[in-house]
Amino acid sequence: MNTAATTDPDGSGWYEIRLHGRLDPRWSARFDGMTLTTGDGFTLLAGRVVDQAALHGLLHQLRDIGLPLVSVTQVQPDDATRPSAHTHRAPGA
Amino acid sequence: MPSPLVRTKLYVPPVRRGVVARPRLAERLGGDRQPRLTLISGPAGFGKTTLLATWAESAGAAGRPLAWVSLEETEQQPGSFWTYVVNAIDTAAPGHVGGLLPLLETPHPSMESVLATLVNALQAMPEGLDLVLDDYHLADGAAISSDVAFLVEHLPPDVHLVISTRADPALPLARLRARGELVEIRAADLRFTLDEVASYLNDVVGLDLDAREIADLEGRTEGWIAALQLAALSLEGREDAAGFIAGFAGDDRYVVDYLVEEVLGRQPGAVRDFLLDTSILDRLSASLCDAVTGGVDGRAVLESLERANLFVVPLDDSRQWYRYHHLFADVLRAHLLEQRPAELAALHRRAADWYAAADEPGPAVRHALASGDVEHAADLIERSIIGLLRQRQEPMVRRWVDDIPDDVVRRRPVLAVGFIGALMSSGDFTSVPDRLDDVERLLADPPGDMVVLVEAELPRLPAAMETYRAALALVAGDPAGTVAHADRAIATAAPGDDLTIAAASALSGLARWSSGDLEAAHRGYSVAVRGLEHAGNIADVLGCSITLGDLRVTQGRLGDARRTYEDALRLAATHQTDPPLRGTADMVVGLAQVALDRDDLEAARAHLARLDELGELNGLPQHPYRWRVARARLRAIDGDLAGAVALLEEAERVYVGDFSPNVRPVAAQRARVLVAHGRIDEALDWAREHHLAPDDDLQYVREYEHLTLARILMHRDSAGLCTAQGLLERLRAAAEDGGRGGTLIEILTLQALAHHAEHGRHDVPGALAPLVEALRWAEAEGYVRVFVDEGAPMAALLEAVVRRDPASTYARRLLDAFDRTTSAPAQQGLADPLSARELDVLRLLAGDLDGPAIARELVVSLNTVRTHTKNIYAKLGVKSRRTAVSRAGELGLLARTSR
Repeated sequence: MNTAATTDPDGSGWYEIRLHGRLDPRWSARFDGMTLTTGDGFTLLAGRVVDQAALHGLLHQLRDIGLPLVSVTQVQPDDATRPSAHTHRAPGA
Repeated sequence: MPSPLVRTKLYVPPVRRGVVARPRLAERLGGDRQPRLTLISGPAGFGKTTLLATWAESAGAAGRPLAWVSLEETEQQPGSFWTYVVNAIDTAAPGHVGGLLPLLETPHPSMESVLATLVNALQAMPEGLDLVLDDYHLADGAAISSDVAFLVEHLPPDVHLVISTRADPALPLARLRARGELVEIRAADLRFTLDEVASYLNDVVGLDLDAREIADLEGRTEGWIAALQLAALSLEGREDAAGFIAGFAGDDRYVVDYLVEEVLGRQPGAVRDFLLDTSILDRLSASLCDAVTGGVDGRAVLESLERANLFVVPLDDSRQWYRYHHLFADVLRAHLLEQRPAELAALHRRAADWYAAADEPGPAVRHALASGDVEHAADLIERSIIGLLRQRQEPMVRRWVDDIPDDVVRRRPVLAVGFIGALMSSGDFTSVPDRLDDVERLLADPPGDMVVLVEAELPRLPAAMETYRAALALVAGDPAGTVAHADRAIATAAPGDDLTIAAASALSGLARWSSGDLEAAHRGYSVAVRGLEHAGNIADVLGCSITLGDLRVTQGRLGDARRTYEDALRLAATHQTDPPLRGTADMVVGLAQVALDRDDLEAARAHLARLDELGELNGLPQHPYRWRVARARLRAIDGDLAGAVALLEEAERVYVGDFSPNVRPVAAQRARVLVAHGRIDEALDWAREHHLAPDDDLQYVREYEHLTLARILMHRDSAGLCTAQGLLERLRAAAEDGGRGGTLIEILTLQALAHHAEHGRHDVPGALAPLVEALRWAEAEGYVRVFVDEGAPMAALLEAVVRRDPASTYARRLLDAFDRTTSAPAQQGLADPLSARELDVLRLLAGDLDGPAIARELVVSLNTVRTHTKNIYAKLGVKSRRTAVSRAGELGLLARTSR
């Protein structure tokens, strides 16, 4: 796992989480506030995580649906995945 | 009242029909040499629980006890975690660990003593035990993992722990692995092999697929069992199996997404809606499902889901409760959230209403919060909070404090005061003063939007708040403040608010008890008992009666103490006889102690035997340590030193004060046993560890310890004797001032002995003066043991009393008691037991008197002492005084029980 970029003491910041397998867009509602992008055999969840507890909570949810985790990267907001045709934003995000 | 257990969590899941036999895994689970820990670690849907259930069935068939806990998030709290573990063990093998439950019910159980006692209890289980903790990841956290690590380290050889989890637990796995004490079954092992896939799809489901199709499915699902089950459901009854498999294998979507969509697509619309609507529930019952879906056929649907293997898991034998398989529920919830997000709140709201009507505030509040309606959640909490606090469900209420925003709480005085109660009983005092001030301001000038759901609760608040302030003062070590607030609480209590009056009176009594004003303490507790009795809270009447009895014993009023216990027993019996009301055992311990004081050993034994019938569960939180103390005292009287010390050490581990001041610390009682057996150095160690010095300022709470210190010093050397006398004189003045007659009797007897030890025959009247006073105090109450326990020197003094005043029938009676109490020869562990007189000499040899002084002490000639000494050496097989004393110590012969 990669932990570059800014380090807030609480670990708050933008994260990209890469998963093996293509997750249906419906899950974006479940991962409230994260953008969900899918590509060829992978899924990218990106968005702001308020602190480490929230990040671990998110990872727990991913663990519980059994999708293999490929990487967790902290990124600059500018680098964060832009909404695109394949991107589904959660309501209110 | 004990917390209501969710019994379904202790239910060993049944093995479903049509499970693929997995001998390769069963072998590792049930091998001949079982490891300390078996870890089954893998993602959801990998068949962990099924594997365990299959194994449990065979272990059960082999007659080995198996305890099962299906953990949930509420078990992140150690109290809840261990309560389920202990209950599971008690269910699997009744009668070994039940005694731990009262300990766990106290507001802050000491996990150290719980675990130590648990390990001891496990050791005593003849058949061994398998303990299964399923879904451990839900409970895992810092608090739980350190406790479980301790348990794993200390497991007896015949007890095995089996953990199933989605994430490796924070246990010292590397160390266990290195020692060969860990068996792991991990995702790679759990996945179905190609053969197992074939066996499942063709033999169990009966799909008749060819090798290529099997291989495709295995490749696409990677042996993930839940995915294969879903695939099987999609394939059943399908014409074009090959087409489906080709489509599935060629898709790179998340397998479960793909398959659940397939499965849902094949269900009738009504079933699909049912599945989505009820996916918000942690548990499913027909009635709850109907309430949430608005339908009427919940039972039929649940049964058909179970028949169709649609991921419902029965939680009991009677098919009342089910749950969805976690993975399936997760996907259903994602579908619900995507398809009908607007309905989510209404579904949760209906679930909350159902649970509220079923009087289950826990899940009701959880669903109300999930529906986003904080006011509704606050309403539910406000309506149930008084009852929950009364049932000692503080941890549940405590969790809600963080869930309800402050601005909602600030408009609801009843809720706010309830939260204060929950915070205080969980030892969380920091925010309490501010919260009390907030409520006071609110009540002084109620705004238009103030919420009070139960008007009758409003007049109770001011007194309740004063009671909490009294408790805060007590915690802050301010007895005067405690009494002042408690008095105000009593003065402002609403008419008929017996419980608040009782609580305030008990707090006031407690403050006075700690400061040594026993009579005022007794008054406070008496008012508390009347209030509790009036409110029908008999269990707490028994709890307070422990204190009332203790106070009377310290005051030297054995008769009143006995009446207190007997009255409480009568009261308890009028309310419940079968099984006897909880707390009955505590009263019986009190009676045993009074019987011991009076040397009625037969009665004491009978009382203690009754405790075995009642069982440890019949006791209140203090019971585990109190009965051990009483039993240890009887063992000491019987001359079983090692047994007495061992029991006292156990008592120390399971000590629970339950808010009472620790006025007779178990460690001090242990030090006394050591002194009585001549182990002065060890007793001195105790005094040092507890920072006791003879010139300390005297406080009542340490009176027993200072008196113990005086006993030790008296036996150390002549300088110690002198220091002890000074300390005794000061203790005497304090005990007289405080009206503590029971303590005074003991002080006076020690003063007599100390004086005699210093002056011997030169000033017998000087020794007799305090003794005669002690007799005067003791006679009416029938004290015996406080004299007899002092052995030969006391007997000699009592003989002098009788010589001087032949009419002193009480002194004669005491001397008779000395004669009754001779060490039974069989207990000496010697082929040729010592005579009573030889034992007297031996005990004096353990002190620092020389031969002539011993002769003076026993009023015999020096030659006689020499003869006795020679015989003692021969019988013990030693050659010197020093080795005689150490051998006698080992044999427990130094107990001063015989004359």
